[in-house]
Amino acid sequence: MIAFIQSLIDGITIGSAYALLALGFALIFGVLRRLNLAYGSSILIGAFAGAAVFAQLKSGGWAVAVATIVAAVAAGVYVERLCFWAVRRGAAIASMVSSFAVWMQLDELLALLFPGRTLAFPALVERSVFELGPFQLRTEYVVMFALAVALMAALEWMIRATRFGLAVRAVTEHPEAARAMGVPVARIAFWAFLLASAVGGAAGYLMASAEEQVTLHSGMALTFTGLIAMMIGGIGSLRGAVLGGLLLGVVETLAKAHLGAWHEFPVFGLLFLVLVLRPGGLLAQDFAARDAAALRRV
Amino acid sequence: MDDYLVSVLANIGMFSFIALSAYLLLLTGEISFGQQAFFAIGAYASGIATALWGLPFALALLIGAAAGGIAAGLVGLLTLRTRGLYFAMATLAFAELVRLGLQQWVYVRKIEGEPVGPNGVDGFRGIRYVFENNIAPAEFLLIIAGLLVFVLAAFAVAERGRLGSMLRLVGADPLLAESQGIDVKAVKVAAAAAAGAVAALGGCLFAHLNTFVEPRNFDIMLGVHSLAYGLIGGLGTAFGPILGVLIDVGLLESVRVFQGYRMIVFGGLVALLLVFMPRGILDETRLRWLAARLRRAPQHHAQA
Repeated sequence: MIAFIQSLIDGITIGSAYALLALGFALIFGVLRRLNLAYGSSILIGAFAGAAVFAQLKSGGWAVAVATIVAAVAAGVYVERLCFWAVRRGAAIASMVSSFAVWMQLDELLALLFPGRTLAFPALVERSVFELGPFQLRTEYVVMFALAVALMAALEWMIRATRFGLAVRAVTEHPEAARAMGVPVARIAFWAFLLASAVGGAAGYLMASAEEQVTLHSGMALTFTGLIAMMIGGIGSLRGAVLGGLLLGVVETLAKAHLGAWHEFPVFGLLFLVLVLRPGGLLAQDFAARDAAALRRV
Repeated sequence: MDDYLVSVLANIGMFSFIALSAYLLLLTGEISFGQQAFFAIGAYASGIATALWGLPFALALLIGAAAGGIAAGLVGLLTLRTRGLYFAMATLAFAELVRLGLQQWVYVRKIEGEPVGPNGVDGFRGIRYVFENNIAPAEFLLIIAGLLVFVLAAFAVAERGRLGSMLRLVGADPLLAESQGIDVKAVKVAAAAAAGAVAALGGCLFAHLNTFVEPRNFDIMLGVHSLAYGLIGGLGTAFGPILGVLIDVGLLESVRVFQGYRMIVFGGLVALLLVFMPRGILDETRLRWLAARLRRAPQHHAQA
């Protein structure tokens, strides 16, 4: 039982980073009804920029965090302009394939710039373990969790209480109605995309500093972790994204602890089951079906 | 023909199958991230048929295609209620389950003293039918080309007739299709099964050409690539996905000038292409234009 709760705690802490990734995805999908497959790569651009700054300065701190997020946002702007803004409205799949092509492009760019493919990344706090009753907590993961929760709270406030958030919700719910009400849909979509890239960059920073390294292979993992977490939760909802991220973290950790070589099965098994039994994700909303239909128009 | 050219052409041929399979689903309005699963099933099933059971290659092709078709039909049946992005993710989940399953699956027998068969992560070695039967690379290329022509002919017949309009109508507006008396569910499951069988055929050829396959060959990358081929080449005709494969495998992977920069060039080109041609190079408009040109050209000759 204690081992189970321990896995649960570990899963929720790592799941908080997944929740951030899923939130970025959900924001982009919400305002654009399109899938950004280059999401993980643009985060990776950020993480490598952070690592490069770290290698130059030989110290961590704010500079690395800022470099990570700024580079991730810059890569996000490139992806948004080329794959989403420039591609004709309604061509959702063209955007998706275009972002896939840019993913390949960014990955190769990183491989050329950093032939070593793995770089050291500064830790937020020194690695240590402290005990809380019968449970062991890794400090770096607790810090990551706390920061992720703080970010999510800030995001929640932004979406619920600001005019920008109201516009994002309006565009997510019904772009045509939002346009009729005078919401500048294209501009809101652009800023929401940037916000999502910044959230992704922050998630990338937190995960890289917990791992104390970045590798080139993680681009695909970042994209699909975020995507799967969002899909489990249901693409109509930001809360669903958080729930999906936490659930994914818990399932992954439990599986790693108990299933040995079979540990990767439950994630995809869960995803397949959720989609077959509850085709709109766990927290499916009415407009989720319509959102999904948007991607059907080839 | 020199060996390098033959191997490039063989690669183009094999990937055309999986690209066509993704294209067929796109026609019915579904995006699949998971056609690599059926490519893998075809590869393993046909490999087992020739290498372990000693069956002839033609029978192995049938077994492979049937296995892929049945698996794809079942997935199609299970995912009938899921749409769009949900369908894409469900197929992706299935494909990853297949890949992970193959990583665990061990079915090795000693054949002439050598261990042969699927051996988990280490892959499936010793699919030596082509080698043992002295089939030259150029001959195998002919087999690939023949099968591809057969599949393309099937596509051409289907696209010209009622079946093609039915598929496109189901893709464009399932509700309207239903009201026209089309059994949308049956069409979708049948299209999924056919697409699975086509992908599996490609897998059969892949396994026998390489003599060795491993689960890593069938990851998400293959699935997303095969989807991209149709979008690049064009969604107006079955030649579109093949044009996509030609551009990627034929032009860029094979021209060694691009080594190391290939994806930087190609990725940028594809992104730009999709800005100007969101339905690919050979889309419906350009096809009609081409057809009109081709019809007119001989008449000009006659006048001159």
